[in-house]
Amino acid sequence: MGQITLNKVTKSFGEVQVIPPLDLDINDGEFVVFVGPSGCGKSTLLRLIAGLEDVTSGDIVIDGTPATDLPPAKRRLAMVFQSYALYPHMSVRKNIAFPMKMAGVSQEEQQRRIDGAAKALNLTDYLDRRPGQLSGGQRQRVAIGRAIVREPAAFLFDEPLSNLDAALRVGMRLEISELHKRLETTMIYVTHDQVEAMTMADKIVVLRAGHIEQVGSPLELYRTPRNLFVAGFIGSPKMNLIEGAEAGKHGANTIGVRPEHVRVTETGPWSGVVGVSEHLGSDTFLHVHDTGLCDVMTVRAGGELNVHHGDRISLTPDTDKMHRFDAEGLRIA
Amino acid sequence: MATQHSRAAARFMIAPSVLLLLGWMLIPLGMTIYFSLLRYNLLMPGNNPFVGFENYSYFLSDPTFLTAMLNTLLLVGGVLLITTVGGILLALLIDQPIWGQGIVRILVIAPFFVMPTVSALVWKNMFMNPVNGLFAWVADLMGLQPYDFLASAPLLSIIGMVSWTWLPFATLILLTALQSLDSEQLEAAEMDGAGPVSRFFHIMLPHLARAITVVILIQTIFHLSIFAEILVTTNGGPGVASTNLTYLVYAESLLRFDVGTGSAGGVVAIILANIVAIFLMRMIGKNLDA
Ligand SMILES: Nc1ncnc2c1ncn2[C@@H]1O[C@H](COP(=O)(O)OP(=O)(O)O)[C@@H](O)[C@H]1O
Ligand SMILES: [Mg+2]
Repeated sequence: MGQITLNKVTKSFGEVQVIPPLDLDINDGEFVVFVGPSGCGKSTLLRLIAGLEDVTSGDIVIDGTPATDLPPAKRRLAMVFQSYALYPHMSVRKNIAFPMKMAGVSQEEQQRRIDGAAKALNLTDYLDRRPGQLSGGQRQRVAIGRAIVREPAAFLFDEPLSNLDAALRVGMRLEISELHKRLETTMIYVTHDQVEAMTMADKIVVLRAGHIEQVGSPLELYRTPRNLFVAGFIGSPKMNLIEGAEAGKHGANTIGVRPEHVRVTETGPWSGVVGVSEHLGSDTFLHVHDTGLCDVMTVRAGGELNVHHGDRISLTPDTDKMHRFDAEGLRIA
Repeated sequence: MATQHSRAAARFMIAPSVLLLLGWMLIPLGMTIYFSLLRYNLLMPGNNPFVGFENYSYFLSDPTFLTAMLNTLLLVGGVLLITTVGGILLALLIDQPIWGQGIVRILVIAPFFVMPTVSALVWKNMFMNPVNGLFAWVADLMGLQPYDFLASAPLLSIIGMVSWTWLPFATLILLTALQSLDSEQLEAAEMDGAGPVSRFFHIMLPHLARAITVVILIQTIFHLSIFAEILVTTNGGPGVASTNLTYLVYAESLLRFDVGTGSAGGVVAIILANIVAIFLMRMIGKNLDA
């Protein structure tokens, strides 16, 4: 079980309220990602759930039992830290065994779980090394192993991949998703990277300055962002946001069109001058200037498109995939 | 130093300081060894004949020598125990976010800046004096017989004074080590179910191992040659109850004016210090690797 509910939780550091009243339901077995720009309170929220910080007001319920005043060890949650937080003077085996040793698990059971975790995480050959003798990805796996053996109600990850290089990041992302599918345990994952959020989550929680801007599945957020912030944050490259007369034509204060919903055509309602084009092979991202709509419009075109710097091209947006926002920045249905 | 050439240049350039240091060390050492082989007593001026190892056999067969050696070890061991354990506890205490932390830290460091003679005099006259001392006054208040520390427990009293001076040193080094401990490690341990005591023994103490090694090594070097505190307070007495090797050498050469035996004692002290150093390095020096 791993069902977590936050009721009107707030957190202040001195005078500064970092988390304004916040309600959130996390269902058993869900992969929930907290995503938001740096400093928006993601880590703080995670640490509140973990019990490493005390809530200023409100309560936290884990599996139906009030957990607000429980110490971290009693909440049956396991955390993987950004710095891995391995114990440097212990071997990998001892690191993984540490939570079980503290819980008084029998030797045979410890051995069984260590072997299981080591096998699942490809650590069998490294069990007798110290963390200092491992690569970043291996350390990350040890940290995950230490979390797994506790058989927690939920896993908490705080930006676990941000210290890894790009290739490893993609690999570890898959491994963590894989692990979630296999264990079917609730996971809460904090990241500032919307690609990680989109690829891993069952449910994304978009945060800004401690506020929940929107909660939903990746595709819900992609298709129906509730406001301008979510629209701009989810999706890569970013959505093009257009204000002024063009938006007025569609009865909105701002309209948003994703790069993949603008086509390069012979003739079209919009036009502009090609700046940088990024050729990825499968796609080409064009940065189009002088459209008279927004500063630079990003357009996703086919990989083989042959346009050059300085060419003037015509663009046609998919009007039915256009997002409309009012003066407050809220979505117009 | 990558190339043959730069290595040679480096050797050439550090040569003067190495030579200076060697001379600085070897000349006094050589003279001590030389004197230790002569019959050289300031009360009997003469031609100071060469007598081989006679001085050594006098020095080593003197029962005071064994007492002095034992006292030296007790002194070093006692101070190390008090300062290391006390230093860890104090460091843990002043690492807590408390009101007036800055001032508390300065106060804790202060004793280290008091020179040994002064601190010994202060302890002797203001605290431990059986008539006018603070401790005697407190004992009086409680209706107890004042305790004459320096006469009844001279070695313990000196251990106390030296520990007082060196506790700040240990605290300071251990505090900086403690502050370099990644707080996420402690939080991880907390989530893993480790209580405060387990966290201390499983996370903090191993993290402090290296700093503790440094504290022990440096202090051992200094405490093998404690002198001022003894000279100012007990003069090695009563009897020889608080005489350590350093003080014994002083007593031979400058109280009994026997430079030869004093020098022999000095050489013995050097040898003993090196044995202790090798022993220590073996035992705990491996903490300094890696
Ligand atoms: N212990 C603390 N004391 C004071 N302010 C803090 C503390 N921890 C975090 N904050 C503040 O709370 C805000 C959110 O921090 P954090 O949760 O770490 O952001 P994120 O993880 O989303 O980057 C930041 O403005 C940060 O300065
Ligand atoms: Mg963070």
